[in-house]
Amino acid sequence: MSRSSALALLFVAPALALVAVFFFHPLALSVISAFMAEGHGPTFANFARAAELYSGDIIHTIFVVTSATLLTLVVAIAISGALTLSASPGFVAALKFVYRWPLFVPFIVAAQCMRTFLARNGLMNNAFVALGVFDPMTTSSYLDWRGMVITFAWKQVPFVTLLIAGAMASLDRATIEAGRDLGASRLRVLVELVIPQVMPTLLVAATLSFVLMLSVLSVPMMVAGSQPTLITVDMAFRINAYGDYGTANALGVISYLIASGAAIFYLRHTLKDDGR
Amino acid sequence: MRSLFASTLTVAVAAAGFAQPASADTVLNVVTAGDVNMVDYVKDYLGPMFEKTHPGVKVVSVGTGPGDAGSQTIYEKLSAQKAAGSTSWDFDVLVIHQKMAGKMVQEGFLEKYRDTVATAKMFTRDSARNSLGTNVEGFVLPMFHSQTAIAYNPDLVKDVPNSYSELADWVKKHPKQFGWNGIKGGMSGVAFAVGWVTAFGGKAEQLVAGPYDKGVETAWDGPLASLKDFNKNVVITPGNAGTLDQLNRGEIAMGPVWVDMFYSWMADGKLPPNLKVKLIDPGMPGQPMYYAVPVGSPQKQLAEQFIALATSPDVQAKGIVERFNWYPGIDADNLKGKVVDAAWAKLFGDIPPATLAKNGQSFPITPYFNDILEAYERKVAN
Repeated sequence: MSRSSALALLFVAPALALVAVFFFHPLALSVISAFMAEGHGPTFANFARAAELYSGDIIHTIFVVTSATLLTLVVAIAISGALTLSASPGFVAALKFVYRWPLFVPFIVAAQCMRTFLARNGLMNNAFVALGVFDPMTTSSYLDWRGMVITFAWKQVPFVTLLIAGAMASLDRATIEAGRDLGASRLRVLVELVIPQVMPTLLVAATLSFVLMLSVLSVPMMVAGSQPTLITVDMAFRINAYGDYGTANALGVISYLIASGAAIFYLRHTLKDDGR
Repeated sequence: MRSLFASTLTVAVAAAGFAQPASADTVLNVVTAGDVNMVDYVKDYLGPMFEKTHPGVKVVSVGTGPGDAGSQTIYEKLSAQKAAGSTSWDFDVLVIHQKMAGKMVQEGFLEKYRDTVATAKMFTRDSARNSLGTNVEGFVLPMFHSQTAIAYNPDLVKDVPNSYSELADWVKKHPKQFGWNGIKGGMSGVAFAVGWVTAFGGKAEQLVAGPYDKGVETAWDGPLASLKDFNKNVVITPGNAGTLDQLNRGEIAMGPVWVDMFYSWMADGKLPPNLKVKLIDPGMPGQPMYYAVPVGSPQKQLAEQFIALATSPDVQAKGIVERFNWYPGIDADNLKGKVVDAAWAKLFGDIPPATLAKNGQSFPITPYFNDILEAYERKVAN
């Protein structure tokens, strides 16, 4: 080994050690613990319990996180499209200024705001009632799965928009202008010309958002009631109510599996990207 | 995972809370498993009072978070240090929940200190000796008792239910007017569910005093099925605070709450002053928080003096009852003449002492407690 590569390894070592100690080690321990009964050796009992008690919540989790990812994509594409295709510089500047704000708001703060915003007699419904859109007797609370989807999307849209708008900005403008010259509407240009070209970035942004939202505990705790809930809440409950790390880790492994489905997706696309 | 998690936590807690100030000679670390209000109680009220009578002593108040999770954190740190071979640590006074108190006594983490504290004779309630079925006599003293009850808005609820069965009927007649938080969003919901199972499943004595018999569980099938049915007509709120929030906004007319939170929120203007609480038949659970001293505390004597101050009638009257709306840890008759009438009237106005004595239940012993929660998960929430 040459001296320079030995030196390079030395520089990488602390980072590698951190990853090994604080990521791979606990990951391995938690996977092992998921397959162990306390003091009784290997077992599938933890997974059986997880499936029996929490299968509904597992499906609910996939549903909520997938819906939130889709909503995030739709809104982020709309914003990025407007930023890329709008002809009004004032509008673009204002939108650029506003859309990034939620990036700097932590999930827990967003959840706390949504608790009062989305409640039956909360700010949103009260505003609609004052505007005469809703009748006060027919308003309903959004503090359930819809509240979670809205909170997640509100928080993730700026991140996804940042990625997608960046990708759109680096496109060759000639294709867009050609489309416009031939009489295509902005919407058609967006759907048929722009989105296909930024698809890899879109998928990566979707994957990253999906995995991040899968891991959030504060939003399901604060925004929605616990029946049904997301598996992060069930994991916390297993530990805090019963001191049961086995089932909590089994739920964790299920969470890894859901996330790794998304990760495979991500890797396939980034690798394809690198190989072009 | 467990040990690594605990040791990571230890580092974090040590960095956050135990940077000892250079000026004070002696530091007394008081570690509280509780919400911010309980941490502030030590930091702003008890600590300064103790420092005044003990020059050179600095009281450091650290919180590990609300609910059983907070006690779990304290336990994890102590057991990690024990596993690593430490014989002394930087916890002097612990404030812990019932479930963990029993476990820590069984595993030998706590010091037997009751006989050295003069106020010990003022505790005659069973909760000073028995913590969810474990004999903890000598190891703990209750800091306060808190109680769950049903809060309601008298403007919206004219026919206030007197019991769980009347409540079930009321909810049928008034769908979506009752809100509670299930069992994963805080202890007021847990208490409501436990109260339901006790009310309709019977064997209340055995649940609280033992002996444990796994077979008792079969008697809960009917009550849990009816609870699932009951849930169809209620709102599931996000947490203890979620129930209070929705009462405040008039979205629900009734729901289970902690009495102390209820009065504190009202005092802060976060609940309308006309709301009331009622402790329905045959009763709902409450719980004490315990003062304990870990074996190996470097400041054992100071810790005992601190607990003696905290359980003195004056502090129990002014701090626990008047400032924080908790029920006293020591027997209430020790507080006569020390609590201002208004505070006394507020605390015992809606729920008179006789009702509290009759309907204020304990949580079941730990194995029943866990069985009830898991049965709820299996049969109601699933």
